[in-house]
Amino acid sequence: MTKIGQVEAIMLILTIIVTHTVLSMPTDILNNYKSASILNLIYVGIIAIIISYFIYKLFKKFPSMDIVDISEFIGGKILKNIIGIIFICYFIISSSLLLRNFCESIQILYFPMTDITFIIALFVIALGIVNNLSFSASIKSNVIILPIALISVVFLFFTNIGRFVPERIFPLLGEGAYNTFILGLTNLGSFGGIAYLYFLPPMLKDYSKFKKICIISILATSLYLIFTVATLLFIFTFFTNVSEISPLYTATRYIEFGSFFQRLESLFLLIWILIFACYISIVCKFSVSILKKLTNISDTKPLINIFCLLIFTIALIPKNLAVTQFFESSIYKYLVLIIVLLLGIGILIFANIIKYRQRLKVNVTEKRLNV
Amino acid sequence: MNLKDILNKFFSYSPPLEYNFTLPDNSNKEELKKDTNNEKVKSDEKIFPSISVNKEYMQVKYNTLINSDIVLREFTLNARGRQYNAFIIYIDGMIDSKIMDDFILKPLMLRNRNNLFDGSQNRVVSEAITNNITVRKVKKFNLANYLINSLIPQNSVKQVNTFSEVSAGINSGNCALFVDTIPIAFDIELKGFKQRSVDKPNNEIIIKGPHEAFVENIRTNTSLIRRIINNENLIIENISVGKITKTKCAVCYMKNITNEDLVNEVKYRLNNLEVDSLLSAGELEQLIVDSNILGIPEVLSTERPDKATKYLLKGRVIVIVNGTPYGIIMPAVLADFLTSSEDSNLKVNFGNFLRSLRIIASFITLLLPGLYVAITSFHQEILPTSLLYSILASRASVPFPIIVEILIMEISFELIREAGLRVPSPIGPTIGIVGALVLGQAAVSAGIVSPILIIIVAITGIASFAIPDFSFGFHLRYFRFLFILLGFMAGFLGIGIGLFVYISILCSLQSFGVSFTSPFAPVSIKDGNGYFLPPIWKREYRASYMATKKENEQEDISMKWKYNSKLHKK
Repeated sequence: MTKIGQVEAIMLILTIIVTHTVLSMPTDILNNYKSASILNLIYVGIIAIIISYFIYKLFKKFPSMDIVDISEFIGGKILKNIIGIIFICYFIISSSLLLRNFCESIQILYFPMTDITFIIALFVIALGIVNNLSFSASIKSNVIILPIALISVVFLFFTNIGRFVPERIFPLLGEGAYNTFILGLTNLGSFGGIAYLYFLPPMLKDYSKFKKICIISILATSLYLIFTVATLLFIFTFFTNVSEISPLYTATRYIEFGSFFQRLESLFLLIWILIFACYISIVCKFSVSILKKLTNISDTKPLINIFCLLIFTIALIPKNLAVTQFFESSIYKYLVLIIVLLLGIGILIFANIIKYRQRLKVNVTEKRLNV
Repeated sequence: MNLKDILNKFFSYSPPLEYNFTLPDNSNKEELKKDTNNEKVKSDEKIFPSISVNKEYMQVKYNTLINSDIVLREFTLNARGRQYNAFIIYIDGMIDSKIMDDFILKPLMLRNRNNLFDGSQNRVVSEAITNNITVRKVKKFNLANYLINSLIPQNSVKQVNTFSEVSAGINSGNCALFVDTIPIAFDIELKGFKQRSVDKPNNEIIIKGPHEAFVENIRTNTSLIRRIINNENLIIENISVGKITKTKCAVCYMKNITNEDLVNEVKYRLNNLEVDSLLSAGELEQLIVDSNILGIPEVLSTERPDKATKYLLKGRVIVIVNGTPYGIIMPAVLADFLTSSEDSNLKVNFGNFLRSLRIIASFITLLLPGLYVAITSFHQEILPTSLLYSILASRASVPFPIIVEILIMEISFELIREAGLRVPSPIGPTIGIVGALVLGQAAVSAGIVSPILIIIVAITGIASFAIPDFSFGFHLRYFRFLFILLGFMAGFLGIGIGLFVYISILCSLQSFGVSFTSPFAPVSIKDGNGYFLPPIWKREYRASYMATKKENEQEDISMKWKYNSKLHKK
């Protein structure tokens, strides 16, 4: 099995959030929480860090096991298969629809006369080629590409700093404390990267760093999200009117360096294409590795092409951009909450209870034997 | 391939053939430290009187069983009618064998009149008879002096009594003579490097650095490396490759630095080549690399002994093929292809400036024509309006689409380059000038290509020349055509997708167990791993991804003179 280091693992989780922020996620946050968006993200970020720490604690008794192995521990092969398939579906559906959303944006911006099928096909062909390489190749390429994407966002922030209106942070509580802190809890759905934490333990070179990985990755995700949302909040008054395309892309249009460099948005697009391709390849590899675990297939290469076709087909299902955006803004968040947070943590808690009972039984037997 | 094979290839399943070799981490550091300490103790040891002990010692020290260029010659020495066991030890290729035969071995081995004379007549210095007892004072025979004074007609012979002195002499091209019963050795100067006059490097020219290159003879090449390294830990093993040609390949490595698994892997691959012939290092390179995917070079080749030596000391393995004036350095990572042996000879800021220039050069070589096509076809908004107008105006008279225009120019450029290489050297530069100036100017005047495209192609060409490694430069030049097509097909989308696949393929490569993209992916933030050079006093560590036996390249404080003087002032 491919073993990855601490930095690779953190970057893997960060990739998920970077791809989502390129699309409509920041717009949704801004629309829902208005001027309280940053406050909400700080609040949700702290909760997400606590959750990730909790996940680490729950995994502590199951070192080098992922959620599929733990499911097998609880409910045998049936539960293992169910959980495995749920996660595969979650990964494949979310990535396919995100790909469709991104391709729709590209089509609107640069290829209005081109059929969306061709744009998606380009990504899928790349996916097919790359996934025939090793898992480590995808993880390593992510390590090279992600920093460029992160630097691009930092660059975006600093080049737009002249246009910032810091007063837009007021009123601090936006539409009220209830909206920000109670309804705002649904914003935990932005932390979809947590799903990958469930599969990391057996992949780590050094399991003792899992705690660091859990906390740092979610902390970095929160900071990145705050950074991105702050950029948009400080630049735009009402963002809803440009929600049909990527909000960050719109922000890149404001970058100016004298009269020579006035429209650099396509360079940003190039970077985001790279990170998107990276994201889908990682998701595909994760899905294949879960399936490998479920079926005990020794060679997964033939499966990879099937997964690529599956992603391609699912990406073509939505009729238009509105459907994919609806999924992105309304369904994805709840999918994360249900599958990643409730189901994942639920399984871990249940497994810990069983483990605790088993220990109790062992202790009682030992005591009896001693007596 | 018939139809059945094609169908089988597409529809039948064949299990993957995976060959995984990875370098392990340094785990036995304690053991290594012990080894280094032993080395220090051993090097100060005195020479033993027993020749068999001395012989064994030297055999172990120089690894004569595997080291192909270390010659240990045993013989019987005749001195004053007596015979002594003796041996000489030297490095083949570093001594003059004619002088060795005529002035060392002949006088020592031949039973001539001088040697048969036992000297008993002159031994008695004085004689006294008291009480019918004759007391004779006898001159003690000193074999060492006798050898030096009478049997070794050499101008420079030193008597040494420690093994470290012996090694220093041998490593610098001298010959050591050990004789039974005497606890000293003779360090005889016989330097005479075998060489077809060692020439200047033709393809890896540097300004500040040595100007000698490998030649076709394997022994000359190994002696060039030996002369620079000057240490007995340099091992040069011979392996023959090719059933018919039995081409000699020298596997060179530092015994106390290079990872043993790496050495074994190189030897394993060389020993398991079932080919009839091996005629060049280029052929060997293709036969032993992990994969030949996309033509990305996975080993470095160099014609410079100083570069080879530098890499040897960093823990790499060098293979020299007889008949080829190139050494192959393995493993190689991506960053190695963008470094020149000149970098470390320059001041650190200049060296790093050159390195950053080379990164830019490689990006330009690979991507600039593709980006130009993508921008002019799909992303015109990125250009300032005035520049866009001038590009459009320059293209107004060109009848071809941008893709045809750029392909015409790029292919012409490659033709000029190839023709310049193949034609006899006096005409070569002329072809280049004629091609570049006349052809370019004529093409613009004729309205076949636009002037801006000439600039793009010229910059790309110049950038490709800035890449130090020929194979890597070639690879980038080759793949720029792919990016041109991708840029034409889908603009930045095509280039982005192509770049992603390209990066992933780079990341999937392994060169003798080392990730090709090390130390960037997987990330390894340790001293000694970076692409950019630290100041010379801070180059303390070897790259961690090489898993070398010795991590430190120099002491924590290498400029002791400065440190000591500061202390003194305080």
